[in-house]
Order: sequence, then structure tokens, then C-alpha cells
Amino acid sequence: MYGWRGRIGLLVPSINTTMETEFWRIAPEGVSVHSARIAGGRHGTPEELRSMESASLKAAEDVAMVEPDVVVYGCTSGSFFEGPEWNKKICEQLSAITKAPTVTTAGAMAACLMANGHQRVDVVTPYVELTNERLKQFLKAHGIDVAKLGSFDMLDMFDHAKIQPDEIYAKVKESTTADSEAVFVACTQLRALEVLDMLERDLGKPVYSAVQASAWQAYAAMGVDPKITNCGSLLARLSEPGATATAALRHFA
Amino acid sequence: MGRIGLMVPSSNTTVEPEFYRALPRGVTLHTARLYLTQIAPDSIRRMVEDMETQAKLLASADVDVIVLGATAPSFLNGLGYDKELIAKIETATGKKATTTSTELVQAIGHLGAKRVVLGSAYDEKVNAIAKAFLEASGVEVVGVKGLALVDNLVVGRLSADTAYDLALEVDHPGADAIVLSCTNWRTMEAIERIERDTRKPVISTTQASIWGALRAIGYSEPIEGYGRLLRELA
Repeated sequence: MYGWRGRIGLLVPSINTTMETEFWRIAPEGVSVHSARIAGGRHGTPEELRSMESASLKAAEDVAMVEPDVVVYGCTSGSFFEGPEWNKKICEQLSAITKAPTVTTAGAMAACLMANGHQRVDVVTPYVELTNERLKQFLKAHGIDVAKLGSFDMLDMFDHAKIQPDEIYAKVKESTTADSEAVFVACTQLRALEVLDMLERDLGKPVYSAVQASAWQAYAAMGVDPKITNCGSLLARLSEPGATATAALRHFA
Repeated sequence: MGRIGLMVPSSNTTVEPEFYRALPRGVTLHTARLYLTQIAPDSIRRMVEDMETQAKLLASADVDVIVLGATAPSFLNGLGYDKELIAKIETATGKKATTTSTELVQAIGHLGAKRVVLGSAYDEKVNAIAKAFLEASGVEVVGVKGLALVDNLVVGRLSADTAYDLALEVDHPGADAIVLSCTNWRTMEAIERIERDTRKPVISTTQASIWGALRAIGYSEPIEGYGRLLRELA
């Protein structure tokens, strides 16, 4: 059977074109990715982000059929928008349907920053101002301050995928402050995975992305090390002694 | 180079990995699921009801083609049913669409085969429908053998060796090609071996779906490792 080492049930917003591709890029031998789509529109309005919570239940029922080892709710703003309790509710609902642990992107973002001991980070997003404020509040609730936030400021979530990796590279570089401990690129539509390695080298600090952090926590939940060495330091050292995999589980939402 | 939208039965664990393995760099795959537990007419009928909704979700990702990647659901009501489903998807989404059964028949014709043997994961009832569909489409079926499975998850657990074994078992001197049917059945890794050992072209429903999807987006470079059909993609 495909996915004999682990099957990931991946729930993506219907308009998302980046996350499935990046998850397959990470997947090692024996791991399979099975997607379902969360119904919704292309504009990241508050109503839209809130409605993803209920729309994800249908997608979870569909993906439950493959008997996944972990379920990933693959949307950052769709999991932080109404705060940590809301995020927790999403996890509980999806796990009840799928009988598998749930990773949300916002939960993975907070877990990855906490597990690595970061308290002050820079953040890059494609979001509009209100969503950026909600993101800061979510991180604050986890004891993390945002030093600088750089945004592409686009409401259209489909168009987030049109931002090229080199534009993400440039935005991260201009949004990084001297005293931040790390940088986080939010939004699973942003094609950040392929520039994480070079950003870490060029900035001399850890740079994480929404898709990468989601994968990190999902692999930790499955007890699988993808041994992926070109998608940032977070995934490269998943199975090292004293590495962050156990911490990923400790910080499970 | 192109985005392929794929609708799979919710319980299918095979078709996404097999697509990903075969697709060339630059072509991406985006999946939606249709709720299906059993390969049986009632279950399949309910699945089709969900189809337009899921097709619209794929269209919102602006895919270049939508493939109904399920075999039995696309031949269930005989000749022309696949075309009805295509029309439904295209009307609902404004996107180009195709189905596994449509591409299966196209691929058989493309390889110039007239008489085939059919190996499948299905039971006798579904096999009879498959045979009738192929024959109504102008393909003579000179031998049929199924694994008699109705639980789709069980089909996904089979190894590709079962496809190899069944293909050699059902092969017949009167057949000029071998058809392997069911997208949840691992066939892709077995195709080259079967072609070598039988000296006949093999058309698997997953392989034919990939072939059709790539043709729909205008991709025409040879793909190695999955039989003549994809190697001669042009």
C-alpha cells in the first residue's frame, strides 16, 4: 500500500495551489499525501476565514477514508484568525472525524517557534492589515513578539501563489531586523520552501515557512524523518539527537 | 507548465502517489475527493452527486483540466455516460474535463488495439459493466478476470505484483492489448514488466488518466518507465 510508512491527510483551501506540491516535494519513500479541499472563496475576508472552520469538516470526512496517520489543516490565517482556542477547537473537531492527530498551520507555527526557543521574530505574510494584527495577537498569546512584519498586502488568496520565490526572498531580507531570533513566512500559498536554505545562509538565522512548519509537526506526529536536507534547517534535523521532533509533539495544540 | 485537477474517490490511496511519481517537473497536481466506500452502483451514484461541487473547488485553483480519476463511476451507466459526466463538469466549471473511462477508450484506440483482455480489481457485476462499456465503445473483450473486491480500501492495500500476476493470467493469444482497470489498484510499477513478458501493450486506467491529462494540457514529451503509452506521448 502506498503510504506504508505514513499517510498524510492534507486539507487545503480550495484555491491553494502551493501546499500539495510542496508536501509531495518533502515526502520520502513510503509516505503519501492525500488531499481534500476546503470549500471557500478566494478573498481572505474575516467571513471567509471563519467559514473555513465549518467547511473543513466535510473535507475531513472525505480524507478520513484513507485512514490517515495525521491530518493537516493547511491554512495559516484560517487557523489563527480567531485565536488559540479557536485553533484548538479546529484540531479537536478534525481529530474526532479522522481519528488521527491534527496539525494546523498556525499551531505548527507557534510550536516550531516555541520549540526552538524564539521569543522575538520577524514575520513575512501576504495578508492585509487586519489579518496581520490577528497573527501578531496569536503569536503574543504564545509568548512570541513580532519585531517586524513585512507584507505583500493582498486580499486575494489565489494570487498569493503567483508571488515568485525570488520575491519572497527579497521580502524576507528587507523585513529582517538585526535583533530578531528568526523569521517566519506565513501562508501556505507562498512558495517559500525553495528559498529557505539560501535565506538561512544569507541571513545567518533560522527562517521557517508555513508549509515547512506544518510538515515538521506532521512528520513528528507520524514518527517519520523525511531526511530532507534542502528545505531549511527545521526539517533537516528532525531526527538528530535532542532535536525538535519531541518538542513538536510537546507543543501539540 | 500546467495544473492538473484530479477528482478521486475519497477512499483511494493509490492514484495520487502514482500521478505524482509519473508527472514531469513543472506539472502540478491538485486533488479533490468524492465520498466513496464501496465499488457498488448505489455508493457510486451518491458519489457522482458530489462531483459538481468538488469540480468547482478544483476550478477555484484555476486548474487547466479536471480529470474524474475513477474508473467504475465513469462507465457505470454504459456508453455515453462518461461524456455526460464531462459535460456536467465542464458546464459547472468552464474548465476542460475528462474521465478515466474516456481516456481508457482513447488510449486503446491510440495504440491501435482492437481486442483486449481485461484484468480488474472488481467483482463479476462491475466487470460485466466494464466489458459492456468497452464493447459498446468498439473494443472487443476476449477475456475478463477480476479480483472480486468491492471494498475500495482493500484494493489500495494490494501490491503491484497482483497486477502483474492477473495480467499474465488473463492474457490470451487472441488479445492484442491488456487492460488493467481500477485507479486504486497499483498497476504503474507492473506495466513495463508485463509488456516485456507478454510482448503486448498494457493500458492501465491510471496510466491512461495521466496520459489524457497530459495531452489535455498540451504536454508531449516521452515519459519513461510506465509502458508504451506514456513513452510514445506525442
